[in-house]
Amino acid sequence: MKSTKFSELTQEQIDRKWWEIGDFFRRNSLWMLMYCTGCCAIELPPAMTSAYDMERLGMGPMATPRQADVLLVTGYLSLKTLRRLIYTYEQMSEPKYIVGFGSCTINGGIYHDSHAVINQLDRYIPVDVYVAGCMPNTESVMNGFVDLMTLIKNKQANGWIKYKENNDWYKQNQKEALGEVKIKDEFHE
Amino acid sequence: MNSMNNVTTIKELVTKKITVLKEEVIDQYQVSFEVKKDDVHHLLSVLKQAGWRQLSYLSAVDWIEDNEFELVYIVFNWEKPVHIQIRCRIDRNAPTMDTILPIYPGAKYYEREAHEFFGIAFPGNDSHEKQLILENWDDIPPLRKDFDPKAYSDARFPKREYSNDHVEMNGQKESKQAKREERRTHILDLIKGGKK
Repeated sequence: MKSTKFSELTQEQIDRKWWEIGDFFRRNSLWMLMYCTGCCAIELPPAMTSAYDMERLGMGPMATPRQADVLLVTGYLSLKTLRRLIYTYEQMSEPKYIVGFGSCTINGGIYHDSHAVINQLDRYIPVDVYVAGCMPNTESVMNGFVDLMTLIKNKQANGWIKYKENNDWYKQNQKEALGEVKIKDEFHE
Repeated sequence: MNSMNNVTTIKELVTKKITVLKEEVIDQYQVSFEVKKDDVHHLLSVLKQAGWRQLSYLSAVDWIEDNEFELVYIVFNWEKPVHIQIRCRIDRNAPTMDTILPIYPGAKYYEREAHEFFGIAFPGNDSHEKQLILENWDDIPPLRKDFDPKAYSDARFPKREYSNDHVEMNGQKESKQAKREERRTHILDLIKGGKK
């Protein structure tokens, strides 16, 4: 006998439900990969330790990009680090999110006229949440994480989808700034 | 032996062997000697014999008006607390300096760095042309004074454009300076060093 209470769901709706359930668990157990490029990284120790205790949001550090959900880009990115960051980001398994710290990732900050530092991070990889400030205080860092959770809940943290869809655009920007994304140094010879 | 004695012994040691163009005692822990380009190797080996057996730094200064680079070698002694700077000027148009690898093997990476950022060649150091910090650099060496980092950055890295300028200029608003000053004097009145 068919239930009168529940209507038949299409496959798409079922997938959507599963994604919602997945998102619930994902946003409550975000594992971070900290790419501590700049000075904003100094805000992470108080956020992680007992002063603000990030663990109560379900966030914890993770050692490898393959197992991490969030990539924290803390500060300015020189061309050399951007290359490694793109490598790292592409290794992460989906869904993946990026939090950009400080004014350097937004518009270059105090390094806006440097020969070595890029100005806008979101031209090269998609950024879901920016935490503004030079450097941001720990409250705003925590607030940024809560914002990221809200975005995941509202299905707005879709930077990784954008990266897939507009991959050509991102790749072209990377090529313009870096010349070549491939890493060639004496340790990779 | 106190440390000012150290400085005088160093002076004696150096001036006995080499003609010094300019010397400067920065403080009791730092002395600087400017010598001719050809004397650097001799002086460094003398100092190494005398106990300054660690090269602590090697870099360059770009004197663009004089059309010269100045190389600065800083050597360090583990027994006596004096750093010695050896400076020498080299031509800026074709900057070359023989390597000091036989004296201080640790200079390898400093020389690579100086080549990358100033374009100074170090014949004798096989790897001096290899890239160290910059990757795929395509312009003149970036720490030369005639390199314009802002122009390079503008050409290479797109800037974020803002439709509205949210900065409020001083002229558009009444100044809060008087109020601030008043508050400050008020606070200063309150502080009386604990006296009532």
